Amino acid sequence: MVGVFRWTAMAAAVCVAMALPAGAQGRGGSNRQVVVSAAISLTEVLQQLAPIYQARTGDRVVLNLGSSNTLARQITFGAGVDLFISADEAQMNAVAAQIDPATRVDLLSNQLAIAVPDDRPRVMASARDLLDPAVRRIAIGDPAAVPAGVYARQYLQTIGIWSDLAMKMVPSGSVRLALSAVESGAADAAIVYHTDIATSAHAREALIIPAAGGPRIVYPAALVRAGKNPDGGRRMLAFLRTPDAIAVFTRAGFIAPVPPRN
Amino acid sequence: MNAEIRDIAIFTTLAALAATAVMLVPGVAVAWLLARRQFPGKSLVETIVSLPLVMPPVATGLLLLWLFSRRGPLGALLVRAGIEIVFTPAAVVIAMAVMGLPLLVRTARAGFEQVTRRYEQIAETLGAGPWRVFSTVTLPLAARNILAGAMLGFSRALGEFGATIVVAGSIPGRTRTLAVGIYTFTETGQDQQAAVLLVISVSIAFLAVLASNRLARES
Repeated sequence: MVGVFRWTAMAAAVCVAMALPAGAQGRGGSNRQVVVSAAISLTEVLQQLAPIYQARTGDRVVLNLGSSNTLARQITFGAGVDLFISADEAQMNAVAAQIDPATRVDLLSNQLAIAVPDDRPRVMASARDLLDPAVRRIAIGDPAAVPAGVYARQYLQTIGIWSDLAMKMVPSGSVRLALSAVESGAADAAIVYHTDIATSAHAREALIIPAAGGPRIVYPAALVRAGKNPDGGRRMLAFLRTPDAIAVFTRAGFIAPVPPRN
Repeated sequence: MNAEIRDIAIFTTLAALAATAVMLVPGVAVAWLLARRQFPGKSLVETIVSLPLVMPPVATGLLLLWLFSRRGPLGALLVRAGIEIVFTPAAVVIAMAVMGLPLLVRTARAGFEQVTRRYEQIAETLGAGPWRVFSTVTLPLAARNILAGAMLGFSRALGEFGATIVVAGSIPGRTRTLAVGIYTFTETGQDQQAAVLLVISVSIAFLAVLASNRLARES
């Protein structure tokens, strides 16, 4: 649902970007806009970082936030995005033909967590507690493509309880929609990112699935060829890898830089 | 066409039929009240009934979600009675009915307004009570409009997306409808599935318009 809004916002952003004559986008590389399509789990942290980047460079950041698969679809269909930050490698691979592969980097990592409504808080010893009959509905990102859902399924398959839980699953269009199902009390639990839960007033963390035993979560970033402002995209990507930006990411609970593959 | 697609088409049609059945009695009652009676708050009822027609469907969905969620006023009562609505097929039917209702009420109301008062008055002078007048004179004379309204409501229900995806989600085999399925399959890169659903939607819409045009010509 939010996806529809995002799509509309994106369409509007792209229209604006295309309508602006090159000269109006600023002289000497300043005051230009950088369109960043980013995984929705990065919402708050990027909203925090955008003004800092803006103050340093004069570039205006337009954030197009959505489920990574939605953003990848937009890019496939030619959206004029400068920088794409996906929540998994699969969605970045899906737009391999639209990105500049030389610019692709692994930006961040994260952990999965189980969220529960704050009026029925509980602590879980392991994800196996989801088998409890009191947990009747579990919201996850759509495991067909939404990265958080793909990771969740991967993890539950690894520990051997995916098929037992399949009937309880409510696939959602994005990880934040899964979280909001818990916030409204419509779902008894949601598998989201550890960083999502801190942004919610009505969800509590029942369990963090540690990076060591969980799926390897990687947020790759790359410049998109259809972007109108490749220099700005490059500047933004470089900024996101500075110690200042990494400090903001880390404070929000992300893991940066990405630990090496074992 | 695989089993999943077939089930989505069948479920959507059944849910839209159920929604039409659900909205029929209250819809006709409200239409008659608006056409024939003056009462305090009439314009308020008129406005509320038409709201889903002009509100963004997503907003209607959000309102329903709030109403029926475990923490919502209606949802809290229902949960105590062991009934859950959100993310169930019942939520699909409710979303469809709410979105289809304004079309039924407006069309049926126009039908009641076209019924000549004199026929009803004659029936009354012949000793028929209010219910008999309604069921033997008013209702048959407005039947074509009610049918047309029900068909409009049904068609609207078939294509409902915004409210459905919010309050019922897109659970395969449980709440996924044609419209929601097209969206979900597109978003998740399952283009072939989306294309098949698209063809089914176009076919159903084509038949519905054909049928309603024929109905209009006959009248």
